[in-house]
Amino acid sequence: MDPFIAQQLLNWLVLSSIYALIALGFSLLFGVLDVIHFSHGDISMVASFVALGSMQYLLASVLPPGSGLALLLACLLAIVATGLLGIVIDWLVIRRFRHAPAMMVLVATVALGAVVRELIRTLYPQGSNPKPFPALIEGSTWIGGVVVTSLGVFIIVTAIVLVSGVALLLRYTMLGARIRAVAEDRDVARLMAIRPNRIFAITFFIASAVGAVGAMFYASYAGVVRFDFGVQLGLIGFSAAAIGGLGSMPGAVLGSMLIAGIETLVQATLADGASYRLVFGFVAVILVLVLRPSGILGKPVFVKV
Amino acid sequence: MSAPLLQVRDLTIRFGGLVAVSEVGFDLGHDEVMCIIGPNGAGKSTLFNMISGIYRPTAGTIALEGRDITGMPAHRVAVAGIARTFQSSRLFGALTVLDNVVIGMHARTRSGVLDALLRPRRARAELREAADRAADLLRSLSEDLWARRHEQAAALPQADRRRLEIARALASEPRLIMLDEPSSGMDDRDTDALISDIRAVMAGRPGLSFLIIEHDMRLVGAFPERVMVIDHGQKLIEDDFAAVRVAPRVQEAYLGYKAVHA
Amino acid sequence: MNPETATPRAPGAPAAAARGGRLPDHLIVAAIELVGAWLLAVFLLSRTTWLIVLVLALFGAALVVMRLRPAIEERIVAAFGRARITALVLGGAIVLAYPFLLGGNSYAIHILIIGQLYAVLALALNFQLGSANIPNFATGASYGIGAYTSALLAVTFGVSFWLTLPAAAAVATFFGFVIGFPSMRTRDTYLALVTIAFAVVVHQLMNNFEWTGGPNGLVGIPAPSLFGHSFNSPIEIFGYRAPGQANFYYLAVALMVLSIVSARRLHDSRVGLAWNALREDELAARCQGINVVWFKMLAFGVDAFLAAFAGTVYAFYVGYISPDNFTFLVSVTIMTMVIVGGMDNAFGVIVGAFLLTMLPEKLRVFNDYRLLFVSALVILFLILRPQGLFPQRLRVYGGRK
Repeated sequence: MDPFIAQQLLNWLVLSSIYALIALGFSLLFGVLDVIHFSHGDISMVASFVALGSMQYLLASVLPPGSGLALLLACLLAIVATGLLGIVIDWLVIRRFRHAPAMMVLVATVALGAVVRELIRTLYPQGSNPKPFPALIEGSTWIGGVVVTSLGVFIIVTAIVLVSGVALLLRYTMLGARIRAVAEDRDVARLMAIRPNRIFAITFFIASAVGAVGAMFYASYAGVVRFDFGVQLGLIGFSAAAIGGLGSMPGAVLGSMLIAGIETLVQATLADGASYRLVFGFVAVILVLVLRPSGILGKPVFVKV
Repeated sequence: MSAPLLQVRDLTIRFGGLVAVSEVGFDLGHDEVMCIIGPNGAGKSTLFNMISGIYRPTAGTIALEGRDITGMPAHRVAVAGIARTFQSSRLFGALTVLDNVVIGMHARTRSGVLDALLRPRRARAELREAADRAADLLRSLSEDLWARRHEQAAALPQADRRRLEIARALASEPRLIMLDEPSSGMDDRDTDALISDIRAVMAGRPGLSFLIIEHDMRLVGAFPERVMVIDHGQKLIEDDFAAVRVAPRVQEAYLGYKAVHA
Repeated sequence: MNPETATPRAPGAPAAAARGGRLPDHLIVAAIELVGAWLLAVFLLSRTTWLIVLVLALFGAALVVMRLRPAIEERIVAAFGRARITALVLGGAIVLAYPFLLGGNSYAIHILIIGQLYAVLALALNFQLGSANIPNFATGASYGIGAYTSALLAVTFGVSFWLTLPAAAAVATFFGFVIGFPSMRTRDTYLALVTIAFAVVVHQLMNNFEWTGGPNGLVGIPAPSLFGHSFNSPIEIFGYRAPGQANFYYLAVALMVLSIVSARRLHDSRVGLAWNALREDELAARCQGINVVWFKMLAFGVDAFLAAFAGTVYAFYVGYISPDNFTFLVSVTIMTMVIVGGMDNAFGVIVGAFLLTMLPEKLRVFNDYRLLFVSALVILFLILRPQGLFPQRLRVYGGRK
């Protein structure tokens, strides 16, 4: 295979993986809570900053410099912290809108995203400036004329593991069954002694934690992170989940691959591709939704992995 | 016999592999009333949905006064003269009772965007006149509803919601009005009131035809001249109420084969 | 500022109330308008934080009082309904004299202009969001298309401002229909996403095309002129002077009046009813003969039309525009104004727009925390009073007794 094409395919897979991790959160939250959680992208991006901050702290105080352990610990901490943040956000804000009309929740979560972004910007030292983000894994190899970065492979593998993990969780575990029950009909689930609020918290944790991984991959892949990266990432993740069909997990993956595919294609073929990738991506979103108004695999019920 | 108002021939609709209505056909003349009965899920509402333009039939034809309206979109069917009510009264809850009826007149009023913006006086005059007619219509149907005409529709009790829905349907001056289980959720007293309301409407509007889907045999018994039975999407029989009641096929449909032939 | 009520009053209302109303009505109207204008001036001109907060608190207190005693609100609304002539004449006089009453303070006038432009945008969106419940995140894009069209015409071809207005409106309305087309088939969240996608695409295109000036946008948009009087030069009347801004203030007022009148006329018409019907129950609306597709497209068109006017005025006022003025976040801001102000309530929407424009400006003392504060406020508001400041009013036709 032509190395150039192979390279692009690889880029496509990496980008798909990153987007899929964010899209998954959107689909999960929509399927289970019926909520368009617009601030999901911003909340996920908090992870990058938590990771950066704690890594610097660890290196400065506890661990020897240059220690890879610092990065690892920082990332794990960030994932957990973001998951918990998701739970807190739900408990503080989203919970109040359980029975509100959809438009209201939409605007509220958009405002919420702004709040999260501004908090990052004001609380993190010199938050307005972009910060370099370390590559999670260094190194690359050449295979048949294609540059394969270890980071890229790691991203793809982790995404597959996480997405499958969540899918298996939903399908084969007791917890998964409960989540699906609440997604179907939360009042009937209550009759089965399932507590919806607890399920919501768990769902938020999973969605936010997985999103955290995606955001950190994004930052690592780009090499830099800024407080408002969450907006664009969230928008793309939301679009991916929507064109795949909100509430459908394979849909989220499919949508991500579609958008990532268009971006990669545009970037590779057009001279000024980089600046047009969003345009083509979102035009595709419009086209898909016009042709399949509820998304490609769209169904309101969140089930069937 | 006068030319039929409504002519339905071989009407069929398939949803994927499921045939919901199969080759149903009937004629309905002017000033006629026909009740449609059948077990739950038989396809009666689906039949209404096809006639009113919400669903597109897979096969068959529907003609209104000789004009083919098969597959015509719902809003044009309304303008053509068919009005309907819904099993779960679909009112415009946040709007006033009067608003609901005025909207019912949409098909018979004409002001558009340009009229509203550039000739406001004419547009407002038309709307005011429609409101007056709507108020009169309400009053003729129910003094109580008329008294509450400036309240929100969502605040009405069940029986009044039905009446309001009927008023809204009548507002478009239809030639055919289709009532989908108008007595559902009502007790005997309310049903009797409903029956007399329908009779009053019939008396006040000669020429208006009725198609009524019903489960409550009390109401069917009040309009027994023509009854059609639908089961599993198919037309079983069409006759007067007395004959339909004792037909073995009908009893089978409701009670099961064994119960009838045990 | 002219607090027109949103309650429609048919001209054929019972004779006793139609002729001018009673003295108390006039007094109530005059009092509210004068006090309101005075407080607004204090708010706009003041530099001391506590005074600003005090005015806000007064406003908040008034709202609370009206909520606790709805009879008061009804009385005020009735007064405005009956003493209409007084309301309009006095209100009009205040509005026209306002730049002079503010002592020619450029900054205050600037805030008023921006506030009014956003009020126009909010009214435009209100047709879709408030009346018809269509979640349109692309108002910012229409705003931008209008601005860019007029700016390009003026800068590249030297077209006069007054001619660019209809051109911009036509182009934006065309694109309004283009975006309205997919609205036929998509619903709710997916529809919202389509409009967001459209907004992003438009924004990116503005950013990338060279002939739109790229990320730097267009500069040097000439000030309009009317009968030889350039809008940049100050206004002098009877020895009183107002800065050049005042010209644009009056332009904005004209646009506001146009928007309010359009909003009223459409809301109180068969069209407004049809929109409300399709908002409540689309299926039932169709069965009443309402061509839902047409009315949805209409909503998109009207929104784009007014937004384009606002964009044109903005472009010529500020003199330069860039793509970042028209992002999807701008659309969100407009949407917030509609929801906070009160859906399908023209007065509420205007108040919402003014609040959300003026608050961040006057609370500059918080400076860095402005956006955070306003966003948090919005969330709080949505939790506590979701129906908005001024919820939709029921129609009264003044029908026969």
